[in-house]
Amino acid sequence: MAKITLDIFRFDQAVDDIPHRDKVALEIPETITVLDALEFAKAEVDGSISFRRSCRSAICGSCSMNINGVTGLACKTPCNTVLRSDGTIAIDPMPNFQPMKDLVVHMDPFWDKYTRLKPYLQPPDRDEDNPTERRVSPDDMKKLVEVANCVMCATCYALCPVVSVDPAFAGPAAIAYAYRFVEDVRDGQTKERLGQINDDYLWLCAHCYACSYCPKHVEPHDRIVDVKRRTVQESVHMNERGPRHALVVNKTIKQTGMLGETEVIQGTVGRFNIRGLLKVAPLGLRMASKGKLPPIFLRPIPKVDEVRTIFESLEVPTLK
Amino acid sequence: MIKHDVVVIGGGLAGMRAAVEAAERGADVAIVSKMHPVRSHSGAAQGGINAALGNREDDSPLNHAFDCVKGSDYLGDQDAIEAMCEDAPRQIIWLEHRGCIFSRLPDGRIAQRPFGGAGSPRTCYSADVTGLVILHTLWEQLERFKVKVYEEYFCTALCVEDGVGSGVVAYNLRNGELELVTAKAVIFATGGLGRMYAKTTNGYASTADGLGIALRAGLPLMDMEFVQFHPTSLKENGVLLSEAARGEGAYLLNADGERFMFKYAPNKGELASRDVVSRAEWTEILEGRGVEGCVLLDLRHLGREKILERLPQIRELALDATGKDAINEPIPILPGMHYAMGGIETDKNGATRIPGVYAAGETACVSVHGANRLGGNSLLETIVFGARSARHAIDHIKSNGQVRPSEKTLKSEQDRMSEMLGRSRGERAPQIRKRMNATMSKNCFIFREKTQLQQAIDDLRETREAMKSVVVMDKSKTFNTDLVGTLETQFLIDAAQCVATGALSRTESRGAQARTDYPERDDTNWLVHSLAWYTDSAPRMDYSRKVTFTKWQPEVRSY
Ligand SMILES: Cc1cc2nc3c(=O)[nH]c(=O)nc-3n(C[C@H](O)[C@H](O)[C@H](O)COP(=O)(O)OP(=O)(O)OC[C@H]3O[C@@H](n4cnc5c(N)ncnc54)[C@H](O)[C@@H]3O)c2cc1C
Ligand code: SF4
Ligand code: SF4
Ligand code: FES
Repeated sequence: MAKITLDIFRFDQAVDDIPHRDKVALEIPETITVLDALEFAKAEVDGSISFRRSCRSAICGSCSMNINGVTGLACKTPCNTVLRSDGTIAIDPMPNFQPMKDLVVHMDPFWDKYTRLKPYLQPPDRDEDNPTERRVSPDDMKKLVEVANCVMCATCYALCPVVSVDPAFAGPAAIAYAYRFVEDVRDGQTKERLGQINDDYLWLCAHCYACSYCPKHVEPHDRIVDVKRRTVQESVHMNERGPRHALVVNKTIKQTGMLGETEVIQGTVGRFNIRGLLKVAPLGLRMASKGKLPPIFLRPIPKVDEVRTIFESLEVPTLK
Repeated sequence: MIKHDVVVIGGGLAGMRAAVEAAERGADVAIVSKMHPVRSHSGAAQGGINAALGNREDDSPLNHAFDCVKGSDYLGDQDAIEAMCEDAPRQIIWLEHRGCIFSRLPDGRIAQRPFGGAGSPRTCYSADVTGLVILHTLWEQLERFKVKVYEEYFCTALCVEDGVGSGVVAYNLRNGELELVTAKAVIFATGGLGRMYAKTTNGYASTADGLGIALRAGLPLMDMEFVQFHPTSLKENGVLLSEAARGEGAYLLNADGERFMFKYAPNKGELASRDVVSRAEWTEILEGRGVEGCVLLDLRHLGREKILERLPQIRELALDATGKDAINEPIPILPGMHYAMGGIETDKNGATRIPGVYAAGETACVSVHGANRLGGNSLLETIVFGARSARHAIDHIKSNGQVRPSEKTLKSEQDRMSEMLGRSRGERAPQIRKRMNATMSKNCFIFREKTQLQQAIDDLRETREAMKSVVVMDKSKTFNTDLVGTLETQFLIDAAQCVATGALSRTESRGAQARTDYPERDDTNWLVHSLAWYTDSAPRMDYSRKVTFTKWQPEVRSY
């Protein structure tokens, strides 16, 4: 038994203007999970403490919350792994969401991101009445099972810095779900799906890896890279900035062994997009005045052949 | 007032399958669920779902049906069992066509694994997340058909007007209002009752709500004494390690390192049916061959690769709860409450005795599981009877045009709720619930006997009395889970009384019911279902429903 104090964010949208905090002192085994500790506090001390939970085995995705500053599943977090030296655990609702009551948040924006994807199989043939299963190789299925482990807990969404500045961004979980259909050999809407996820600002992902802290090992970040790659391979949205940026970066490195920043800006914005170029012009002038303007033409580095060999062996798609 | 033609209570597999069936048929259907559908406990199902696809060995629905009949210890209704097994392959293909991610054989067909009590490998699966992938597939279909979901609405009562089901009353957790939901047909799919026991594989939301609601509306519960204890749950928190572990070849060992199952089931060993394995484990533990009150589940010989490929979740659950890695160490396990064979009495179409009211999934008793359910049959039941009840509900609607909204039920629920919230002195529900849990786990467990069962009945009567003056501490109108938990406790006690009374009345041992004072199966007197009816004190038992036989006469059940 250990003395553990839960320091809990309290708020009721119906009556409170601002949140406050309550400290609840408990005597519990320190190996129990944070969820068990909350249950204990609710049953024995204060019945009004509110949180979502269902499975208590990391499979329903209900109980994600912020525990000592890190978002994660309360039912998968033993108290002794997060306990501060003063014996407290601070518990807050997930960031990037509107609180409703205590640790319960409004999840609707998160679910909306899925709805926009048309998240259901759309096979090319209407063979729903076919009496046998479609044949799918074990490997093609295994790829999907890894993503199917996602329990829609929104931990990744809560951790994503891009979501916090631009709520229109699909977010890691929905992109991983898009991947699940894009990579499903039974689905017939690959291009439309890639188009939709591009419309939902796929390329805003900053590759910060915050979402790799996924409790179910879905690795949404890697799925995002996969979806971007597929976007380029399938030549979807090639006129958008995201894919063009990726490709022009590739191109300059392949040609010169260095990042050709001037060309990257032109390539991303569009060489003939006068208005777009004018927008970035002030930045260029400011850089020039500080002597930071990158060279307009780059001379290839000495052993650029080796760089090119790397590119060729990786079969990186090229800008057409 | 909310109004739809068909209203499904519950968004687990049974509820969603019913709603999708209704939506595909163009009906005006909605789901009322106390959680977002993907949070339902169906998602925790790991092992798989049975269907005689015959992808690995020759198999047929009839073989499957025989295994169910035998597994049920001849208490299952054979017409319903045949209907389920017949429909099973079709339903699996239905799911596959809608994108369900099943593991595959090298030739691309759906893979199948062996499961306890089954004559051939017929359990379809997706690694060890089968429930989750099916749950997601059905949720995707809800999105496809834009089925309205009243999410985080807690159903508190069933409305009956002129003897016909006319809707439900539901408590909106987000604003604390009770709302009338009018419907021409209501389908209950509210899941299990595991929280009646102290240690259970079920999640927090498995609280017998549908059972309590049905009882109080005048419907009988059937075969409630048959409670399945799963042989492999974790000592620490009751969390389940799926039967898939044994299906893939795991051993059960006692303190002497002996694979003791062959003493109890010489042919099937670890793969005998669950009731047999649970009793064997408990016997080993009672006779002093346990390890700290447990026996051991040993996966080590399967090897790292197979464990990581086929049983990754199981390994992680054990690791999280016990700190032990199944790749290197055996895991201490013991039997834990797992599944309710009993439930709201229905016919093989999911219909109850009140026209317009249906039930499907774990909350229903059709009965396809009889005295003991086989692994992989419950997911199947949710899918088959979810769809079936929706089909019959739609037929019912066609001949029943209008129902009257039940303002009086709404009013009485409002009164009940404000009275409950108005009390400020007295005991809270968690304390009362603890006493129910204690007596059920002590006196109505794997082995049962008259004096203990009587004790359970007395204790439960006391908890029922205590609930009359229960206090809800949270008075808030926003997300009041204290109030909901109190209502759940009431429903659990209603159902627990039926379990204990049914267990005491049935003076025989059959399937999951093991009476030490009546150790034999008694086919002369007990090939009948038990029906429990609500009264103000203890349930009234009724044995007028006989078991339906089609092809198979009772035989000695051995594995
Ligand atoms: C850990 C575990 C593993 C299992 N593994 C397997 C397996 O491998 N194979 C197999 O065949 N079976 C398995 N089972 C059994 C099987 O998973 C369940 O019996 C089945 O999923 C129940 O489905 P359901 O739709 O009836 O209920 P649930 O999935 O429990 O859904 C109940 C729904 O009802 C809603 N609800 C409940 N009360 C109310 C209310 N008052 N108002 C509104 N909504 C309400 C809930 O929100 C929820 O959406 C397992 C069970 C457990 C616990
Ligand atoms: S990807 Fe991981 S963190 Fe994100 S919702 Fe899914 S399970 Fe949760
Ligand atoms: S890697 Fe991308 S999606 Fe993931 S948290 Fe960072 S910005 Fe968000
Ligand atoms: S309670 Fe289900 S994920 Fe934590």
